[in-house]
Amino acid sequence: MKAGSNLENVLRSGAFAVTGELGPPKSGDLGLVRKKARILKGHVDAVNITDCQTAIVRMSSLTAGLAALAEGVEPVMQMTCRDRNRIGMQADILGAAALGIKNLLCLTGDHQKFGNHPQSKGVFDMDSIQLLQMVRGMRDDRAFQCGEEIKGNEPRLFLGCAANPFADPFEFRPVRLAKKVSAGADFVQTQIIYNVEKFARFMEMVRDLGVHEKCYILAGVTPPKSLGMARYMKKFVPGLDVTDDVLSRLSDASDQREEGINICVDIIKQVQDIPGVAGVHVMAIEWEEAVPEIVKRAGLSNRPDPKGIEPVLSSSQSIEKAVEDARKEIRIELEEELERAKTEAQASRELVIKEKEKIASEISDLKKQVEEARTMASRKEAEVQKLTAEIEMAKKELEAKQAAAPSAPVPEPQPPAAPPVPGPAGPLTGREQRVLESLNLGLEALKTVLGLDDTQFEALRRFLEAEFMLQFGQAPVPVTPSAPAPPAPGPAEPQPAGPVPEAAPAPPEAEALVEEPVKPEKPARNKEVVNLVAKGNLALHSGDYNGAIEAFEQALGIDPEDAKAKAGLAEAKAALEKAISAVQPSESEESEGLLPPCPEGVDETWWKEKWIIRYTARGNVAMMNGDYEKAVVEFEKALSLDPENGKAKDGLNRAKNKEGIRIPEAAGAPSVEEEKTPEPAAAPAEEEEEEKEEEAEAAPAEEKPAKPEKAAEEEKKEKPAPEPKAPKVEISAPAGEGVSDLSVTPLAKDEPPLSERAGDIPEDVYMESCSGMIQSVMLGDGENAFSVGGETALPFYNFEGDMPNPPRVAFEVLDSEPEEWPDVLTKYFSDCLSDPAEWARKCVEQYNAKSICLSLVSTDPNGADASPAEAAEVAERVVEAVDVPIILWGCGNAEKDTETLREVTGRIGDKKVCLGPLSDANYRTLGATAMAFQYPVVASTPIDVNLAKQLNILLENLGVHLDHILMDPSIGAVGYGLEYTYSVMERIRLAALTQQDDKLSCPFIVNLGREVWKAKETRLPSDGMLGDQERRGVLMEAITASALLLAGGELMVMRHPKAAALADALVEGML
Amino acid sequence: MIKGFCCNYTLSVEPEALRSEGLIPEDVEIERLPCTGRLEVPEILDSFSEGAEAVFVVGCQLDKCHNLSGSRRASKRVGQARKILEELDMDPALVEMFYAGRGETEPVVEAARLMAARVSEQDQPG
Amino acid sequence: MIIAERKTLKELLGMIDGCSRVLILGCRGCVAVCSAGGDKEVAILASALKLGLTRRGKKIDIEQRTLVRQCDPEYIDPLNQDAADFDAVLSMACGVGVNFIADRCDKVNVLPALDTTFYGANLSSGEWKEMCAGCGACVLHLTGGLCPVARCAKSLSNGPCGGSQGGRCEIHPDVACIWQQIYDKLSGLNRSDEMKNIMPIRDWTSAGHGGPRRRIREDLLP
Repeated sequence: MKAGSNLENVLRSGAFAVTGELGPPKSGDLGLVRKKARILKGHVDAVNITDCQTAIVRMSSLTAGLAALAEGVEPVMQMTCRDRNRIGMQADILGAAALGIKNLLCLTGDHQKFGNHPQSKGVFDMDSIQLLQMVRGMRDDRAFQCGEEIKGNEPRLFLGCAANPFADPFEFRPVRLAKKVSAGADFVQTQIIYNVEKFARFMEMVRDLGVHEKCYILAGVTPPKSLGMARYMKKFVPGLDVTDDVLSRLSDASDQREEGINICVDIIKQVQDIPGVAGVHVMAIEWEEAVPEIVKRAGLSNRPDPKGIEPVLSSSQSIEKAVEDARKEIRIELEEELERAKTEAQASRELVIKEKEKIASEISDLKKQVEEARTMASRKEAEVQKLTAEIEMAKKELEAKQAAAPSAPVPEPQPPAAPPVPGPAGPLTGREQRVLESLNLGLEALKTVLGLDDTQFEALRRFLEAEFMLQFGQAPVPVTPSAPAPPAPGPAEPQPAGPVPEAAPAPPEAEALVEEPVKPEKPARNKEVVNLVAKGNLALHSGDYNGAIEAFEQALGIDPEDAKAKAGLAEAKAALEKAISAVQPSESEESEGLLPPCPEGVDETWWKEKWIIRYTARGNVAMMNGDYEKAVVEFEKALSLDPENGKAKDGLNRAKNKEGIRIPEAAGAPSVEEEKTPEPAAAPAEEEEEEKEEEAEAAPAEEKPAKPEKAAEEEKKEKPAPEPKAPKVEISAPAGEGVSDLSVTPLAKDEPPLSERAGDIPEDVYMESCSGMIQSVMLGDGENAFSVGGETALPFYNFEGDMPNPPRVAFEVLDSEPEEWPDVLTKYFSDCLSDPAEWARKCVEQYNAKSICLSLVSTDPNGADASPAEAAEVAERVVEAVDVPIILWGCGNAEKDTETLREVTGRIGDKKVCLGPLSDANYRTLGATAMAFQYPVVASTPIDVNLAKQLNILLENLGVHLDHILMDPSIGAVGYGLEYTYSVMERIRLAALTQQDDKLSCPFIVNLGREVWKAKETRLPSDGMLGDQERRGVLMEAITASALLLAGGELMVMRHPKAAALADALVEGML
Repeated sequence: MIKGFCCNYTLSVEPEALRSEGLIPEDVEIERLPCTGRLEVPEILDSFSEGAEAVFVVGCQLDKCHNLSGSRRASKRVGQARKILEELDMDPALVEMFYAGRGETEPVVEAARLMAARVSEQDQPG
Repeated sequence: MIIAERKTLKELLGMIDGCSRVLILGCRGCVAVCSAGGDKEVAILASALKLGLTRRGKKIDIEQRTLVRQCDPEYIDPLNQDAADFDAVLSMACGVGVNFIADRCDKVNVLPALDTTFYGANLSSGEWKEMCAGCGACVLHLTGGLCPVARCAKSLSNGPCGGSQGGRCEIHPDVACIWQQIYDKLSGLNRSDEMKNIMPIRDWTSAGHGGPRRRIREDLLP
């Protein structure tokens, strides 16, 4: 026996020991210590009294230990090295032993940093191992630490230590325990065990060292009071390994305390089986009540009778007093308890009543809500029914309308691009056949949709065929008396140039026509025959005698007996003969250059002038196409009518000298209507058009159906102008005034090279090669990608250097329906204005756009202020819709553009687009974004050479390469500062090419469409002075473009398809 | 008075010219240094002692310093100066480091205006 | 070297309150190397104090000077003449310099401008770490050259306490557990068995608990 303590006795007896833990109060209240001691009494063999645990000031372990001892509970006094040096510690050890304390647990102690006096000086005169050595020396060697002998009673203490199996380094932990044992530890209590498996491994190593035979090992356990506490221990207590299993057991438990106890019991049972474990140390921190239950459930409640618990200080008197005090205390406590229970019962009764009331009111509330919801539902239902009825009605109306006016599926009146119909009527061309077929298909669909029966459908179909023939095969048939004098050629009348392709009949006529064929047919006759006869008659009436004959013959082929067909055939043949004989003279007349007979009601002089102009124009066209012989013939015709006509004379001269046209129409002029009503008021306009008439040839005139004049039939028998050398861009324009054809005749390119023209002049006199080079910027990716820039000479100075990449046009597409675009612009996109993706696609597919500039105008905070996400969504669709390079042009608000364009790039990712405009306010953010995706950017500055250069420098400093920058110098349209724009661009370009100013060597992007089309001149309606609105706008755009192309513009953002075509033609012609 | 220190490479114009152009407020005094790396903490602090209400330093972009690490050093010293201002219960924002590209006048002007605005802002509530 | 750190300006302004002439005295020894009291720091402190005084509406003549060392009479003694007319000498040396001036210059009112913190090494520019406690009884031969006295929060002698986790000390995650390092170092040197030996309780006399320490080398005495 080393100390003869109860714990020592139990352990020596080989019984499984149980120790508990008691934390002294943070006050001088000894009652609390007693209370805790009483709870534990009888359930454990000894109780650890902690020594200012976690460095928080509490009643000393010596004092509290004595109080526990007085309660008949054996204390294990804990002693740390933190607060006392060897002098103080030895003094306390002497005193403790003297007062009956027989167990001492030697610890180093938690660092003062964790406690409530972190500023204190940590003593740490020694560590726990040295403490064990010291106390063992006092006990066994009767010597103080300094070696001095203890004369008299030495402290008899059963020495314990702590061990943490879960701290690092794990392998050293058993060694450290062995050190403690060899320093004097008789028993060891471990850190709290949750990870039994790891503890088992620790124990294995401990056994390997034989430590378990030299000391008693008590496994430390703690019932987790709650999930929160378990989590806290896992997270914040170093060296405490709380397993996930424990956490999940707690979180799954309905009663966490109960489960905590179960966990603790389970662990006790498990560690009991580990060899070398001599007992458990149950640390129910501030939950001493749990200990008896744990001990009971672990099957350890049968504690050996305590031995050796002898409080030294307590006399018998004091014991009596203590018992008395305890009784009193218990009585008071019981009374208090009773009182509290009563109050609680009362309170809970009241609570129940309140709760009931609350629930009742809630239920009534809910009922009310249900009622309201029901009412609302029935109201909604009524609305739905009403709406359904309305829809039903609307549907019916619609059906009725469609049945009554089935002109909807009729193909739109064909634009003038439709090929001129050959003179005499013939069988349907392939194209017509196809149109008919598709018409039939459409009709079939319509039939199904409208639920027509066969008769109705047949009637409809034939009407439409008739309509078709009317429009495309023949001149219009006069149907209503209100229609102007018919152009129907009487057999006797001269037939000037064969049938003139006519524009569609006016809608009223079309509707008038509807009624007739809709009438049900007599079923007796073969439908096909009826059909053909009708067709024949229509052809006959419209002067297409060949067509008529063919139709009647076909009808007779089906039914040779059909009287109407026979009669019709005869009539048609007769008419044809007459017509042929009548045509002859008129043809000879024209071939001789004579004036065709003036139509009735037309001023003779005007008529003559008109023909002079026409012949002159034909001459010019022929000359431009290189057909000088024909040109001579035409000019002579003009001169035969007016020998003094200067233009004709001039033309004749040049034609003879094969000089070509004097004024090569640089940007080309939009084609104009050649035919105008011969009203005197229109005459002055005619003069202007003279020069442009050459184009009119390529564009068959469009006639206003409201005023067909005899004059309208004139002309047009001309064979089409000789094919241009370069392929002509065939683009059809929607019907309308102004620009009737979007195609542009290419410029003549047969100019001899400059060196030839220069003759003997030495090259260095007129040549000046540049030392600089414009950056080449790649736009887009995929097969439609292209580069702009790369020049080594001034724009189009091909004789001085290279212009490897042609300037390009990008069509501007707005991300929302444009509000201020004039009709002459919107009509080209009327079917897709509300869908930017569709719009872009149309530009590419129909107008041959090589690039698209998507203007995110809707994001303007001063306008619609669309969110970046909305804009990005549109941009994404446009990017997906077309495969040409895309420029994303923000609203011009630096902040918003940053947001918007970032959002966009986030969506479209690697697809190469060009971002703009970057200004000095947002170049950093957008520049960085562009760099991240390797996008080219538009550097936009107010019109100034230095500002442009500075922004380029800023961007370059940021890391954007110059070959990823397009400069937007800010431009003005013609009439709105074009000269200044030109001058600045020219200076920039000269600096880049001739002054080695490489910071200005980026290509230009010229956003001109928006500038032109916001000019008021593009919005004013057509009038006598300013002329046609559309042509005006187109020319303004084309002229602005051509000027800026010459100034160095490489990417032109434009709006009008015609203007774009003109710009393209200019580029094509100049390269 | 607001004191500015600029590196010779960032501000290529005479500070006087900026003032006469009306680009910087009247009470901004700019001193050109061969390199902001030469600027020491005492100079910044002494500016305040001599009456400056705010001090700004404009150096090269950190990665583009003509002397490689000059503006980096300057920014650290500005940081040190800010700490000292804090210790003296002054607003550390009264001294700030700015960066400008070579020959860019604009950031200098911007810095001057920003600091002037900051000073007048602070004057108001007091 | 000796590592030190400037006291706060408020503390220093408080110290020199009421003075009209102050000498800021730097030292080109350890404190210059650890950027606490060399020429540069003297200049900064002078400017900072001037600014602080200006803001308090006060004016003090501040002179700056830096000595080669403040722990050698050769440099200190002239202060008896030079510095006598200053109201205060604000020493930017370690505590040794301040003490030394106080010891040797009766007329000089010397004040510390720095807190002398520890004996440390310069890990990298701007970072210093304590490596030695000057305890006067080195056990480094037992611990692989790593000092548990200076570098263990509890100055343990016999291995890591239960708070060592993952190589970190329980007092702060930034602090390494030196005993883990000692264990690793000794293991690497195949000396880990040495950790089984119990290091006896220390004698702290040499650590200053035996009174001010002194060292004499007879052979060098004048």
